[in-house]
Amino acid sequence: MARNEELFNAILKGKRKDVAALVQAEVDAGTNVGSILMESMIPAMREIGARFPRNEVYVPEMLIAARAMQAGLDIVDPLLTKSGHKSLGKVAIGTVKGDLHDIGKNLVAMMVKGAGYEVMDLGVDCDIAKYEEAVTNGAQVVMLSALLTTTMPYMKEVVSHFKDKGSPVKILIGGAPITQEYADEIGADGYSSDANQAVASVEKVLAD
Amino acid sequence: MNGKELLLSALKGNETSRPAWLPFVGCHGGFLIGKTATEYLQSADLLIEGLKKAKELYRPDGLPVMFDLQIEAEILGCRLHWADEVPPAVVSHPLAEGKQIVDLPTLDETKGRFPIVVQALETLKKEIGSDTALYGLICGPFTLALHLLGNDIFLDMYDEEEEVLRVIEACADICIQSADIYLKHGADVIAVVDPMTSQISPDHFEQFVTPAMNRVYDYIRAKGGLSSIFVCGDVTRNLEVMVKTNADCISVDEQIDMAKLRELCAAENKSFGGNIKLTAVLLLGDENDAKMEVLSILEQSGNKGFILAPGCDLPYAVPAKNIQAVAEMVHDEYVREAAKTLTAKTADAFDDIHLPNYEAANTVLIDVITLDSTSCAPCQYMMEAVQKAAEVAKPICYINEHKIKVRQGIGMMVKLGVKNLPTICINGEVKFASIIPDQKTLVAAIEAAAGK
Repeated sequence: MARNEELFNAILKGKRKDVAALVQAEVDAGTNVGSILMESMIPAMREIGARFPRNEVYVPEMLIAARAMQAGLDIVDPLLTKSGHKSLGKVAIGTVKGDLHDIGKNLVAMMVKGAGYEVMDLGVDCDIAKYEEAVTNGAQVVMLSALLTTTMPYMKEVVSHFKDKGSPVKILIGGAPITQEYADEIGADGYSSDANQAVASVEKVLAD
Repeated sequence: MNGKELLLSALKGNETSRPAWLPFVGCHGGFLIGKTATEYLQSADLLIEGLKKAKELYRPDGLPVMFDLQIEAEILGCRLHWADEVPPAVVSHPLAEGKQIVDLPTLDETKGRFPIVVQALETLKKEIGSDTALYGLICGPFTLALHLLGNDIFLDMYDEEEEVLRVIEACADICIQSADIYLKHGADVIAVVDPMTSQISPDHFEQFVTPAMNRVYDYIRAKGGLSSIFVCGDVTRNLEVMVKTNADCISVDEQIDMAKLRELCAAENKSFGGNIKLTAVLLLGDENDAKMEVLSILEQSGNKGFILAPGCDLPYAVPAKNIQAVAEMVHDEYVREAAKTLTAKTADAFDDIHLPNYEAANTVLIDVITLDSTSCAPCQYMMEAVQKAAEVAKPICYINEHKIKVRQGIGMMVKLGVKNLPTICINGEVKFASIIPDQKTLVAAIEAAAGK
């Protein structure tokens, strides 16, 4: 199937009822469920993600698009599971210990999920044990978020913890005070300045 | 004109003889006196002590009394999570938990932490208020609405427009009550701090925020006060709509192009402020980084209607020496001039400029680094002092003035490791930086150098 433009635009505009109806119509018409996801839905999330760093859309627009995406995924997911379709990979994400900010973390989680990965959202105020548990449960990538300059240093502790024990898990970091230099300094596997770039970073570290 | 007058004049859009300086000392005030943010933001005595310390160290023209956007939210029933090195965070949102606006507690100066704020404000007004403009910071209507509604506000802006507008208008009423408390007890400027507006589009800003904010600014103006909007975060796209609000001044964070903001504000007759980088420069950098950053901001911002400030609330443990370096830039035009050589140093290695062989010379070589002794008074006095001392001293002296107005002078300054203007170096060593020594001291220094 080619891209369903109506579905693509409905996700971009955050029309969740339209998205649910359009996805259902494709399913009823016998369209391959994987194609609906890969050719119409995920490209819409990528498009919204690309508009965010260009300041063409803002947090509310991202959130309603992600909600509309979810309305489609609610229909598609059970069918995919039934057909044995696998996610592109398992990713855990959480704001680090001492930090209770979650808007940025939520946006990244939505984008990564919208890109076809299975996302384990660990919430806020996450200590090493929480990340460790996610890795035990199969996370291949751990994403750390921090808004505060005072909680940034905990990222280093998390990175050291996994590197010291030789864990193959990839660690990505992000948040307002974070820079590429900081990521290099603490030995993280990558850094992203926004939710869209975060998806590219996940793809990159999983391809390495 | 003292510092406070200078700042208020800048805020009204006037030219100033030096940059007006407003360090946002929030929980950092606690760091200065060895207290946690939790202790500091809940005690009038500690606020007074911390801000007086900041006054002494940073020589500001203005200071915020309490930089904490959770004061109103706490009174309205939001639960707070306290921490050692940051202001408290809101962890519960009453309107998301089934409460209605009418159910929320009312706000007045006897509630929550306002008694502390009022006591600190009144004391500071008496003790440092004659030459320090005191800022009353209030949580802006959009951020306050987010405290009350939680993150759902972003979806509600689409799903329940009317309800969100109603909450934001109610928050503007609360802003007016807070502003009233600050104005009544002597605050010179009311800053409406609304960081969450950096997350919404210009259209949403105009629809949801502008009308509410303007009611607050109009009220402040009617009461004879001055107002400023502070938005931390990247508001590049919202600059136009922010400048079009009725606030007197627009203060922005580090991501903003100050030359662009300057242009926008000039067109609307508004003043503006900002935007020293908090993390990369003030927290993780050194004094030279701070000076270069300030120089670049001053060059972009000019001297009309401009207030130098950090991008946002200073991090708790920001090194005091970096903020003091900013203060030097503000108060000393020679430090500002000297800072130009710091930038030059990264751009130019001065490989063609060589120092004389001081060891081999059979005379005393004195290098005086100046801005220009014909136009800079301290430079002139320093040159005269050196010439007189050289006449009296026994060894033969050669005196060279290096003016940093030319590349050769900057090169010598860099090679000699001079950091202040004017400075006397004797036989290649920095001896008197920014201080003109008395004749006896200078002669002794020359003779000691000859004796080596």
